[in-house]
Amino acid sequence: MTFKFIHSSDLHLGRRFANIPQAPDGNVRGRLMEARFGAIERLADAARAAGAKHILLAGDTFDTATPSVTVLTQALAAMGEDDQLQWWVLPGNHDNLRDAEPLWDKMASDAPANVHAVLDAAPIDMSAGATLLPCPVTYRSPGRDLTETLPNMPTADGALRIGLAHDGITDFAGLHAHIPPDRDRTAKLDYLALGDWHGRVRVSERAHYSGSPEQDRFKHDRRGVCLSISIEGPGAVPEIEEIETGLFHWLTHDVAAHQGDDISAAFKAGLPAQDRRNTLIKVRASGWASLASQSGLRQAADQLGPEFAYFDLDTAQLGTLYEAADLDQIDQAGALRLAAEQLKAASEAENADAGDQEIAADALARLYAYVKEADL
Amino acid sequence: MKLRSIRLQNVRRFTRPVCLEGISNGVNVLCEPNEFGKSTLFDALQALVFKSHTSSDKQIRSLKPHIGGAPEISVDIETEDGRFTLKKRFLSKPIATVEQDGRVIAQADEAEAWIRRLAGSADGGPSGLLWVRQGITGLTSGSKKEDEAALSARRDLLSSVTGEVEAMTGGRRMDAALDRCRDELAAFVTSSGRAKTGGPWKAAQDDVEALSEDCEALEAACAQLRETLRARRAKRRELADLEHPDAVEARKTQLHEAETAYKAAQQFAEALDAEARKVAAARLEVTTLHKNLETLRAAQDELKRSVGEVETAKTALDAAQDAHGKADDETNAARQGLERAQSNLVAATERHETARKRQAAKDGIARRNALTEQIEKAQVFWDKMENARAEASRGPNAETLKRLEALYGELRTAKALRDSAAAQFVVNYEPGRDGYVLQGKAAIPDGEAVAIPSGAELTLQDIGTLIIHPGAGGQDDGSFERAETAYKALLAEIECKTIDAARTEAAARAAAERRFGEAQTGYQSLAPDGLEALRAALARIPDFEETDETDKIDQADTEADLVEAKAALIDAQAEFNIAAERKSDARADAARAEAVHSAALDRQTRAETALKGLEDLDADQLASDLERATTTLRAAEALHAEQDRAAPDLGAAKARLTRAVSVQDAAEAAIASLKPDLATLNERIARHAGDAVEERLAEGKQKLSAAEQALKRIVHEVAVLQKLQIVLQAVRNEARERYFEPVAAELKPLLQILWPEAELKWDDDKLLPTTLLRGGEEESTDVLSGGTQEQIALFVRLAFAKLLATRGQHAPIILDDALVFTDDDRIERMFDALHHQASDLQIIVFSCRQRAFRALGGHLLRLSEIDAVSEQNTADSM
Repeated sequence: MTFKFIHSSDLHLGRRFANIPQAPDGNVRGRLMEARFGAIERLADAARAAGAKHILLAGDTFDTATPSVTVLTQALAAMGEDDQLQWWVLPGNHDNLRDAEPLWDKMASDAPANVHAVLDAAPIDMSAGATLLPCPVTYRSPGRDLTETLPNMPTADGALRIGLAHDGITDFAGLHAHIPPDRDRTAKLDYLALGDWHGRVRVSERAHYSGSPEQDRFKHDRRGVCLSISIEGPGAVPEIEEIETGLFHWLTHDVAAHQGDDISAAFKAGLPAQDRRNTLIKVRASGWASLASQSGLRQAADQLGPEFAYFDLDTAQLGTLYEAADLDQIDQAGALRLAAEQLKAASEAENADAGDQEIAADALARLYAYVKEADL
Repeated sequence: MKLRSIRLQNVRRFTRPVCLEGISNGVNVLCEPNEFGKSTLFDALQALVFKSHTSSDKQIRSLKPHIGGAPEISVDIETEDGRFTLKKRFLSKPIATVEQDGRVIAQADEAEAWIRRLAGSADGGPSGLLWVRQGITGLTSGSKKEDEAALSARRDLLSSVTGEVEAMTGGRRMDAALDRCRDELAAFVTSSGRAKTGGPWKAAQDDVEALSEDCEALEAACAQLRETLRARRAKRRELADLEHPDAVEARKTQLHEAETAYKAAQQFAEALDAEARKVAAARLEVTTLHKNLETLRAAQDELKRSVGEVETAKTALDAAQDAHGKADDETNAARQGLERAQSNLVAATERHETARKRQAAKDGIARRNALTEQIEKAQVFWDKMENARAEASRGPNAETLKRLEALYGELRTAKALRDSAAAQFVVNYEPGRDGYVLQGKAAIPDGEAVAIPSGAELTLQDIGTLIIHPGAGGQDDGSFERAETAYKALLAEIECKTIDAARTEAAARAAAERRFGEAQTGYQSLAPDGLEALRAALARIPDFEETDETDKIDQADTEADLVEAKAALIDAQAEFNIAAERKSDARADAARAEAVHSAALDRQTRAETALKGLEDLDADQLASDLERATTTLRAAEALHAEQDRAAPDLGAAKARLTRAVSVQDAAEAAIASLKPDLATLNERIARHAGDAVEERLAEGKQKLSAAEQALKRIVHEVAVLQKLQIVLQAVRNEARERYFEPVAAELKPLLQILWPEAELKWDDDKLLPTTLLRGGEEESTDVLSGGTQEQIALFVRLAFAKLLATRGQHAPIILDDALVFTDDDRIERMFDALHHQASDLQIIVFSCRQRAFRALGGHLLRLSEIDAVSEQNTADSM
């Protein structure tokens, strides 16, 4: 009989997004928090749609070790709404066993019957023929491979071996990752549900990161998903389906400018046409652009930015390409022209401090804008 | 730069090529009616100089003719480097070229740069083309509203001067930029450059500070929560260890075993104590017997020793008492000898005193007599001294006599000298007549020459008187009179009449002085301290009675007797002391011997008493009992030692039991304490965890990071604004220093062409004219008439042009419909001014006022169409 379940991770419930600027009349932080909380319901919807009875959360369900009473209680209540779904919640590094002891105590005492905190690295029979092999994270930085116990975890003959772990894969996640990429094979797993990586990543045909169901950073350039897993039986290759669960789209828009390019047009062309209210966008302008082009880009950004949930124009990598006509538009001669030329020279001075160069360049751009404004 | 010709094609109404040629130095005039195209010429020239050939802005598009076509403009100019042709075509296939002698030397952007260098100024000065424009130009749309605005602007002096002012200072655009910069900066900083209270910079700083404090507090709360969790884990582990069944059973077993062992050890210890008590009883018996035996033997020995000691002490006592009796006798004998010696000494002392008194009286009398005699002798010497002193005080002393002798010698010398030179006479008496010739009462000696320096009156006895006058030759120099005066004065002083008398008295005085000396010597030898001292000494000698010399006592004898008596007394005293000491020693010896004897008697009495108290003891019986008791003791000790070796350690058993009990008690106490502790920790953890401190900390850190970024952006923004403000102010100040004051200096004589003593005042900040000072009154430029404003505007241009020319940078001045408000009287003076300034400038005047400007004179220009061939050539060259 085919065993189906939903694989998700890194809900980071309780994250407050204080790093996202919020207009006095806006509520983007509240919307982002609410979207993360709503992921529980969307995961439940995905499970019901897929005909799955189990939802595996591979760590970092909570953003901190001590979530507020409201966050914890409402999360448990949301998971408990459909008692036909079984939630298997693994401690991750953010809500690790040691630091989040009160959290797991609370879950142990107050969680609905269908919500299971998996706190021991020991096999758990999820249902007939499917055994969960969890690797709970003990410390914020355990400093070792917690999945090394998986090969020796016993399962009944004919039962699926489903691993559940939270850490990086050593091949691509850098120094702090510990899980070997062949862990699914060395532990003879039918599936290894991984968490920690917020983007969706396939490690092997049996090992996958689902990513966060609701994105929280400009890195992955797509909405969050969960994975619907179907395994026909021990040894069968699992069938995996991505189900989009994210409400917000965190988008990075790189605009590379070259001499003669219409950077404003390139900027506008790269913007999403729809659902801007649910899009957070970071525009990274780079290359070289004239004062007029930069002024145009900023005007366009000022005009279009408010349409988005969050908008940031980063011009740190955008150099100013000075054309004679630019300075002519400030003035063809006289004091203003002299000022413009002095600022231009300061922005290009060899051996000058980079900060001073940037200040001079910005001062020149500002002069340009002031004069253009005065000419209107 | 100087313009030489202008060519247009496809510029507004000039669809066909036209040319304005022959532009010379000095004043050039193009005087044509309205709608002729003068302003088009002007706009085209401006576009050529200041607009890029690629520009298609409103100004350029306005040049395009209605029928279409690409505006083409070409001018010939002359500079210090030669003659050049500048060409531009706009909108369609735009080009820009600079030619020299028919050869293209720059095109496109290079040509634009070449023209910019020509028109612009490297140091921010005005451009190389100056103009005054009054009429509505093709560059405005011509709508009614804009026409009205332009007309209003013409009435504004600033509108006519602003062109050049802006060229230098940036003018209103500079003002606007600076104002914006200052306004924006003022929102951030105070005038001293610090973050402004209530401003975004200060708010951002406050945000960062407040958020940092929040984060620190939350981190502390997190740390406290973690510490509480750690403590709870530790206590949970401790409680689990204590309540573990194995641990509970182990503590119970340990306690039971300890109690059992302790009881067994206690029982064994009691049996051992009983054996010990037996040993003690046996040891006490042995000790008692041994002590009794020793006591008896000691009492017997003591009695024996005390009897012997009494006998010895009695013998010593008797000997001491004998010695004491002898010493007493010796002492009495010595005392008697001492008393005799004392009596002898008293007698000898009395005798010696008597002898001494007698000798003293004798000596005193002798001394009195001697002193009396000495006083008498001394008195004799004293009297001699007094007499001699009285005699020695009379007559000249040796010194005075010596002076007198000297004066006498001088007198005699002077007299001899006088007499030798004076008249003399000699009387030779007849025998018997000696002394018949007298001078005064003195007889003239016979045969001696008598000098008569001052004449003489001689008495010739019996004859009469002979008076001799010395005449003139007898006069001397007065030496004799002076010598005589001095001589006589000294004689008078010493009260002598002649030198011989003086000599006699001097000799008497010397003799008296010698006698005085001799008497003084005698006196001093007898009475060195004076007579009174001798008399006082005599008075101090007491009166002594004459002694009876019949009872002769020799003082030396009595003194010897006295010495002998004293020596005898000393010896007697010594003998007595020795005897007394011996007696004392003997008495002490006797006392000690008596004490020893008494003590020996006491000891004997005590020994006898003690022995009497032990009459019931028998030494032999005691020795037998002691041997038996000793055997019993050894047997008991052996048995006790054997049992002691076999006994368990009661102390160790007790310690083990104590430890086991304490372990049990401690475990129970720890369990009792841990449970409430855990409850407290649970409550604390629940409270802190419920506060979501880590969520808040994560939020706080994100906010802090965002606030720090915001602060960084603001700091950068402030730096940018400050940089811009500094640069703008600096360049404007530089422009003022470089141009404004020189222009004002150039302007002053121009203004005075119309208004003597007139002066234009400028706003220091905006560098715009504010008031015109003329006739002693200040008039705001706002209220000046249109004519005055345009005249000032023209003068400003001329001043600029003049300044540029003096710097070798010639700039043509183009007057486009200038001076439209100027009346006939002033326009003549303006024309004069133009001609005056045009001597080294190029001025091009466009005007529709043909009649008024006829009087301007200058070189007349004509706009002419270019023929087809030339047109073709022009087109080909583009």
